[in-house]
Amino acid sequence: MEYVNPEGLRLDGRRPLEMRQLRAEIGVVSRADGSAVFEMGNTKVIAAVYGPREVQNKSQQINDQAVVRCEYSMANFSTGDRMRKPKHDRRSTEISLVIRQTMEACILTHLMPRSQIDIFVQVLQADGGTRSACINAATLALADAGIPMRDLVTSCAAGYLNSTPLLDLNYVEDSAGGPDVTVGILPKLDKVTLLQMDAKLPMDTFETVMQLAIEGCKAVANYIRELLLENTKQLEFRRGV
Amino acid sequence: MVGLSVGEKHFIKGGIEQNLRTDGRKRYTYRPIYVETAVIPQANGSARVKFGATEVIASVKAELGKPSPSYPDKGKVLIHVDCSPTAEPAFEGRGGEELSSELSVALQRCLLGGKSGAGAGIDLSSLSIVEGKICWDLYIEGLVVSSDGNLLDALAAAIKASLSNTALPKVQVSSAASDEQPEVDLSDEEFLQFDTCGIPAIVTLTKVGKHYILDATSEEESQMSSAVSVSVNRQGRICGLTKRGGAGLNPSVIHDMISVAKHLSEQVINKLDSEIAAAEAREEDVP
Amino acid sequence: MAGKRGATPATYSPSLTTAKGKKKPPIFTDDANWVRSDGRHFHQCRPAFLRIATVNSASGSAYAEFGNTKVIVSVFGPRESKKAMMYSDVGRLNCNVSYTTFATPSRGQGSDNKDFSSMLHKALEGAIILESFPKTTVDVFALVLESGGSDLPVIISCASLALADAGIMLYDLVAAVSVSCLGKNLVIDPISEEEVYQEGSFMISCMPSRNEVTQLTVTGEWSTPKISEAMDLCLDACSKLGNIMRSCLKEPLSAPEE
Repeated sequence: MEYVNPEGLRLDGRRPLEMRQLRAEIGVVSRADGSAVFEMGNTKVIAAVYGPREVQNKSQQINDQAVVRCEYSMANFSTGDRMRKPKHDRRSTEISLVIRQTMEACILTHLMPRSQIDIFVQVLQADGGTRSACINAATLALADAGIPMRDLVTSCAAGYLNSTPLLDLNYVEDSAGGPDVTVGILPKLDKVTLLQMDAKLPMDTFETVMQLAIEGCKAVANYIRELLLENTKQLEFRRGV
Repeated sequence: MVGLSVGEKHFIKGGIEQNLRTDGRKRYTYRPIYVETAVIPQANGSARVKFGATEVIASVKAELGKPSPSYPDKGKVLIHVDCSPTAEPAFEGRGGEELSSELSVALQRCLLGGKSGAGAGIDLSSLSIVEGKICWDLYIEGLVVSSDGNLLDALAAAIKASLSNTALPKVQVSSAASDEQPEVDLSDEEFLQFDTCGIPAIVTLTKVGKHYILDATSEEESQMSSAVSVSVNRQGRICGLTKRGGAGLNPSVIHDMISVAKHLSEQVINKLDSEIAAAEAREEDVP
Repeated sequence: MAGKRGATPATYSPSLTTAKGKKKPPIFTDDANWVRSDGRHFHQCRPAFLRIATVNSASGSAYAEFGNTKVIVSVFGPRESKKAMMYSDVGRLNCNVSYTTFATPSRGQGSDNKDFSSMLHKALEGAIILESFPKTTVDVFALVLESGGSDLPVIISCASLALADAGIMLYDLVAAVSVSCLGKNLVIDPISEEEVYQEGSFMISCMPSRNEVTQLTVTGEWSTPKISEAMDLCLDACSKLGNIMRSCLKEPLSAPEE
C-alpha cells in the first residue's frame, strides 16, 4: 500500500515532515487539581492530575519523595470497533507504566515527601500517537496543577514508510507494520527521557527518524509554552493584576 | 473530595431550607446546561453534555446483529456507563465499577422500559431490518469525565442528544433463500435520522431535610437523606423510577416527589430540546 | 434431541422449546376473563413459606419459598471490619446476591442479578440501626436456588428475616412486593412467564409498621393514577407480608411437624 504518493503527499494530505494539527485546553475538569485536553489531529486525550495529597496506601509511602501514580484508560468508543475491555489489558498497563516513568523523571518529587500525585489519562479518540498525546496532556495538566517540574516533557512519534521518514503517524500509517519511534524530550534541557521503537531500522535511518521526532517534540513544546503563557495571562487578568 | 465540616453541612442544609443554595440557585433551578453534538466522529452519533461542572460524553455505535429469539421483530439496545478516573481518583482501577453498573442499570430501566419493550423510550421495532434475521444493535456508551453531582440526569441528557445526532445508514436487503443469512448492503450516502421525541428525560429530586432540590452538586448529594430519579417523557407519563439513598420515605412523600418531578420535567425537556437543537445548528455551521 | 438450533444452549433441556413458544399467547392483555396460570386472582400473592434458623453456622439465616421462587439468605456478623477499611462510627453492611447455575431453565443466567446486590443493600440500609455496631460489618449473602419470578422482593423479605434471626437491631422488618402491568391489568407478585410479557414493573420495599418506603423502582410507562393504584396495592400486600413474617419469627425455633 502506498503511504506516500509520488507527489510526496501522505494519505491524509500532509507532507512527510508535517505534524497534525495541535489543539489543547487547560482546566477542563474542575474537580481535579489540574487537567488538560490535548488533541493531535483526531487523537483526543484528557488528563487529570490529583495531588499532591496524602498517600492512600501507607505501605507505598516514601519518606523523602512523592509517589507518582498513573492510569491510562481508553474509552469504549475511542477506536473504530467497539472495545470490550478498556482497562487493565496489557497495553494499558504498559502505557501507564511508560507515562509514569516519564513524568516521574521530570517532577521534582523531593519537594513533596510523603505525598502522592495521581495522573489519570483517558483517551477519548484514538487515531495513532496516543502515547505521545497522553504525555503532552499530562505535562499540561501537571503545569495546571502547579506541580514543580524540571522542564516540560513533550513527546512525538515518527516512522519510516516507503523509504521516507514520516512525522506524527496516524492509525493507518501506524498499523502498516513499519517502524514507529516514540521520543519524549525535555526541550530546554535538551535531554531525551523516553525512547521507544517497534520493528527494526538500520542505524543511520534510525538517527534520521529520531532527529525528526525530536524536531516534532520541539514544535509541540513551543505550542505548549505559548498556551501556558496565554493561560497565565488570563489568570492574571482575572485576578485583576 | 475533602470531607465537609459540621459548619459547612449546616450551611448547605440551612441554605436549602431557605431556598438559597450555596451557588445562589433556587431549589428548582438547573445549573447552566451546555450541549455539544458530534464530538466523536467515529461513532454513529455522539454528544457531550455539561451540567455546570459535571461533564459526560455519550456515544452511539450501531452494528448489524441477530435479534434475540424471543423478540424477533425488535432490535437490541445496550447501555453501558464507564466512570473515568479523571472524574474522581476513587474511580481508579475497579473503584468505579459499582457506580458504573448502578448508573447503567438505572438508565436501561428508564430508557428501555419493560422486558417486552413496551413503554420504551426507544422504539425497538424501528431497529429491525429483516424480521428474525437481521436487526440493528445499538451500543450506547456513556463516559463520566467530570463528576459534580447529578450524573444520572446528565447521562440521560447526553444519551438523548447523541441519539438525535445518530444517523443509521440505509440498508438494502438483497433477496436470498429463506434460511440463509440475507445479504445486506449498507449505503454510504443515505442516512436515517433517529426519532427522539419519545425519549424521556430523567429528573432527580434530592431530599435534604424536608425539601427537595433539583440538580444537586456532589456536596449537596453528600447531605441527602434520599433521592428519587423519575424518568418522564414528553406526554407526561412516567417511564421509570429509581429511589436511591438509604433513608425510608413515606409513600405520600413519594407521591409528592413524583408530582413535583412531572411538573418540572416539562421545562427540563423543553430546555434540553432547545439546547440540542442549538448544538446541532452550531454543528451544521461548521462544515 | 441434542438441540442443534443455533441459539439454543448445547445442554439437554427438554422443557425449553416445547413448553415455551406454543401456548403462551393466552397471557395476553385485555382479556378481562383471563385467569393467571396458577389460578390466582390478579391481586393475590403467592402463598409464602418462611423458615428461620436454617443454616447453623451463620449468625442468622432464613429460607423463603414463594411458589417456585426459592431463596436462602445467611447473615454473618457483626464481624470485625477488614483493616483496609477506614474507621467508621456506624456499622457497615455488605450484601451479595448470587444465583445458582440451576436456578433458571437455561443454565447460568447472569444478566439481571448484577445489580441485585446493590439494590438489596439499599433496601436494607434504611432499616438497620447502624449505630448499634460501630467499627464492624454485617455480611448478608443471598443465594437464589430457583428463580420463579419476582426474585428481588423475595430476596429482600428473606434477608430482613435473616437479619432479625441474627439479632441485628432493626427499625422494622422490610417486606417487598412487586407488581406487573400486563395490558390494562395490574398483577401482583408475577411469576416468570408473566414477567416476560409485562409492560411495566413496579417494585416496592417498605417497612410496614413505620409506613416508610426504603426502595422503589419503576420500569415501563406509567400514568400517575396507575402509580398510586400500584402503590396502594403494594403497601397493602407488604403489611400483610409483614404480619406473616412476624408470626414466622414468633414460632418456636424447632421446626414444627408438617
